[in-house]
Amino acid sequence: MIDPDAELVRSAGAGDTRAAEALVRRHLPKMVGVARRMLSDGAEAEDVAQEVFLRVWREAPRWKPGQAKFETWMHRVALNLCYDRLRRRRERPDPDAGLMVADTRPLASEEWLARQRAARVNAALAQLPERQRAAIALVHFDEMSNIAAAEILEISVEALESLLARGRRALKAALADVAQDLMGGPEGGP
Amino acid sequence: MTKKEETMDRERFAYLLDAYGADFRRWPAQARAQAAAFAAQDAEAAALIGEARKLDAVLDGARDEAGPSADLAARILAAAPRAQRPAFDRRAMLALAACAVFGVLIGYGGGMLAPAPAEDDSYFSMAFEAPSFEDEG
Repeated sequence: MIDPDAELVRSAGAGDTRAAEALVRRHLPKMVGVARRMLSDGAEAEDVAQEVFLRVWREAPRWKPGQAKFETWMHRVALNLCYDRLRRRRERPDPDAGLMVADTRPLASEEWLARQRAARVNAALAQLPERQRAAIALVHFDEMSNIAAAEILEISVEALESLLARGRRALKAALADVAQDLMGGPEGGP
Repeated sequence: MTKKEETMDRERFAYLLDAYGADFRRWPAQARAQAAAFAAQDAEAAALIGEARKLDAVLDGARDEAGPSADLAARILAAAPRAQRPAFDRRAMLALAACAVFGVLIGYGGGMLAPAPAEDDSYFSMAFEAPSFEDEG
């Protein structure tokens, strides 16, 4: 298995700042993206991404290409950090969570509608069990191959497909009105 | 590899559509061509795809195009490993330490090897010799 990051990781570990910059350019948006999907919180997602890279810098000097690709390992670290934060949220619920979602601008502009739909989707995603949410984040939003996503989640492709199918069915039920609004034409609009 | 990937029938098509949605690019690589062929010849495939496409469109509408904040990359890079300048410094320090030890040894050893000065302490005994009072009185 050829790991496209192996050389960069080795160089970054040896203190090559250009290699470190290349790793950040290549992976930071994905780390933030998957954490946003998991946590529905931009600031927390950036904290997670930063923590992932701190671990990368710690591991890079002694990184040895093994069974998993570096990107796979990074995604696993990111998801585990998200699972930890979600568990802490369950244990200590934030009373202010979700208060920032609503936008009360009076004019129903296209942008406003799009934001409302996005908020609904994010809320529906947040209701999914974590593993289903992670599967959809990786395959739908990150457009990863089924094999790569299954490897990150450390499950078989069949198990991944089961997570995806259950997640998508739940989203379809939760977002039926949004789909109707979006696809149903002008008469379906608000 | 999935159990149901050998043949593409409506059951398998619907199964994969449920999991991956309407965009065949997200499907398992080995199933894409079969899926496209099946969709082209099956009467119900278009309706199934249409349903899956609705959800895809809703999800895509929530795709967050905003990248990470401007200073995040800088903060992360500030913590990246730096080239080990100490590799040179350590050698220099070792060389300095070796020089110091060598200097001490040379100084001490040289001192030991140098001929001992003749022990002439007459000035000492003279200085402390009891004074003679013969001339006095």
